Amino acid sequence: MAVKTSWYEADSRFIPGHYQPATLIDLALSRDIDSHRLLRGTGLFHEDILAGTARLSPQQFFGLIGNSRKLLDADDSSFLFGQRLLPGYYGAASHALGHAQNLHQALEILIQQQVLLSPLVTLHLELDAHHAYLYWRDSCGAGEHWRFLLEAGMTSLVAMSQWLSGERLPWVCCFSHAEPRYIEQYWVHLGEETRFERPLDMLSIPREYLTRAWPGASATAGQVARQQAREQIEQLGFASSFLDCLYDYLREQVRQPPSLEQAAQAFAMSPATLKRKLHKHDTGFQQQVDRVRKQVALHLYQVKGYSNDEVAAYLNFNDAANFRRSFKRWTGSTPNLIRQLFNSR
Amino acid sequence: MFSVLKPHRWKLSLLLIAANLGLILHLACGELKSVSEWVWLDIFGEGGSALLALVWLGLVLKSRPAGRVTNYLALGLSCIFFSWWIDSLDEFIRLPDSITWDHWLESGPMPVGMILLTIGIYHWHREQLAISAQMEKRERLFREHRLFDKLTPLAGADYLKRQLADSLQDSQTQQQPLSLLALDLDHFAAINQAYGHAEGDAVLQALSHLLLLNLRRQDLLCRLAGDRFVVLLPNTGERQAKELALELQQAVHGLAHKTRLHGERLQLVATTAVVMALDEPPQDLLKRLNLALARAKQPLAKSA
Repeated sequence: MAVKTSWYEADSRFIPGHYQPATLIDLALSRDIDSHRLLRGTGLFHEDILAGTARLSPQQFFGLIGNSRKLLDADDSSFLFGQRLLPGYYGAASHALGHAQNLHQALEILIQQQVLLSPLVTLHLELDAHHAYLYWRDSCGAGEHWRFLLEAGMTSLVAMSQWLSGERLPWVCCFSHAEPRYIEQYWVHLGEETRFERPLDMLSIPREYLTRAWPGASATAGQVARQQAREQIEQLGFASSFLDCLYDYLREQVRQPPSLEQAAQAFAMSPATLKRKLHKHDTGFQQQVDRVRKQVALHLYQVKGYSNDEVAAYLNFNDAANFRRSFKRWTGSTPNLIRQLFNSR
Repeated sequence: MFSVLKPHRWKLSLLLIAANLGLILHLACGELKSVSEWVWLDIFGEGGSALLALVWLGLVLKSRPAGRVTNYLALGLSCIFFSWWIDSLDEFIRLPDSITWDHWLESGPMPVGMILLTIGIYHWHREQLAISAQMEKRERLFREHRLFDKLTPLAGADYLKRQLADSLQDSQTQQQPLSLLALDLDHFAAINQAYGHAEGDAVLQALSHLLLLNLRRQDLLCRLAGDRFVVLLPNTGERQAKELALELQQAVHGLAHKTRLHGERLQLVATTAVVMALDEPPQDLLKRLNLALARAKQPLAKSA
């Protein structure tokens, strides 16, 4: 099968320094942090960012995030960063977001123009009869900074949707990590409906909120901005990250997971190159396969309401015990417990 | 660093000259010891003490505003350093037995320095009492600078949780009620959007001062997160806490905050919630407080 041949990797320099990185830099500067110390070790210069010529790779952005976290040394850094992120000042894509007609359109813009609006975090939208689910995925191998990105990302969406819709939306935030010491930051910035130790990082909202019209949006301006953003992505030459391309490929083949060699062939590279690229993103092939299978299994439980046997059959497990063991490895929990979790929602 | 030391440049140059004069005097009258005669233990002990005295001096000058108390401390530490410095010189230079002034140089400044340092520390203590009086309502009995908020002059959530645990225990042993009050600005995000996040920060700083003015001596004000403040109210029942909450709400309403850029007035409105402590862990009490606040905010949801 054919796969996309262009993507960005952890060391592709394409994130304009005056986009998302500048938001973080401005936050740090407003807390009296020295710009040299902030950029130390990232290979970046403040002058270049101010001149609008600096382009960061995801790895450099992670370096900047690491420095900011250390220097700001506060529990609310990720949330304050998130509040400033969206719709942002990222050219046409931000205009398009600002003129979104409703939440559904805003989410579609976020997903389609992810490379411009949220280069380090990928969003995935699923709908069932009553709810919309928004899954959050690491697109560049964030490692220890994933929680920071997740807190910032969810805060940015919650804050933007509240601002543009003119009302507080009843988001429910689910995190796979345990309840942190600074839980009050979650209450204040994300609302009281925050749950921890869930199988996936996810936002959900009743479906009727997707289509409620947002005030102040101009349909024409929005359409032109979307078109301009699409052209910008074409110029860039890629729309998603290497890990996301691999994810999409594995998801299509989820019922018969390919071997490393087969995947490498589909991506027109040697198995050694594929391995090296995965290593660069702080991950491995089996880890990626498991990530996809976990996501699909949870999707089948949650949205389709499948039973254990049906999920096991769909994923081509020969026996139930084998499936249970694998599932435990993916999620740290048994299928039955996960189903209870969904039912108690 | 240098701007901090600037007001003290005379003191520091005097100390430098004195130390050098001591060295020159020793060199002029005595002869150098050979390396084999050096006693390393003494060199480390006496030289190290002198070096540490210098570090203390630097830290004191760097951390304190110039003034009377700082002068006492600096002079005291300078004398002590000088004493130890002369003391360590004779590890390297042998003076003839006929010379006695080196004992005076070595031992004379020490008691003077000790007395000056003692006077300095005593006044420092007085000064600290005055500052602590100003810190009232922002901290209770226990100080930990690492728990201070980076934005407002208040303590943060971690300090609150610690104090809450202690106060809950106290209230149980003394059979006194304990209440918590939460205050949260309405439409704070809109201020950030319209006037910028720097203005939002200024609003929070103004608000923290305003709230302090409206509290009693025994109350403790902390910034929980974002635009949410929590007040710990010892020996206070629910009714009294509600009255206080109303007063704070009115104070916020009456605050005529002006933006920094155009001096435009911002109309601030706050929502409050109050809970009285039951027999429960601090974390649950805080959770209950936040749920109460969320309920109080509910009618706003439509227009937030």
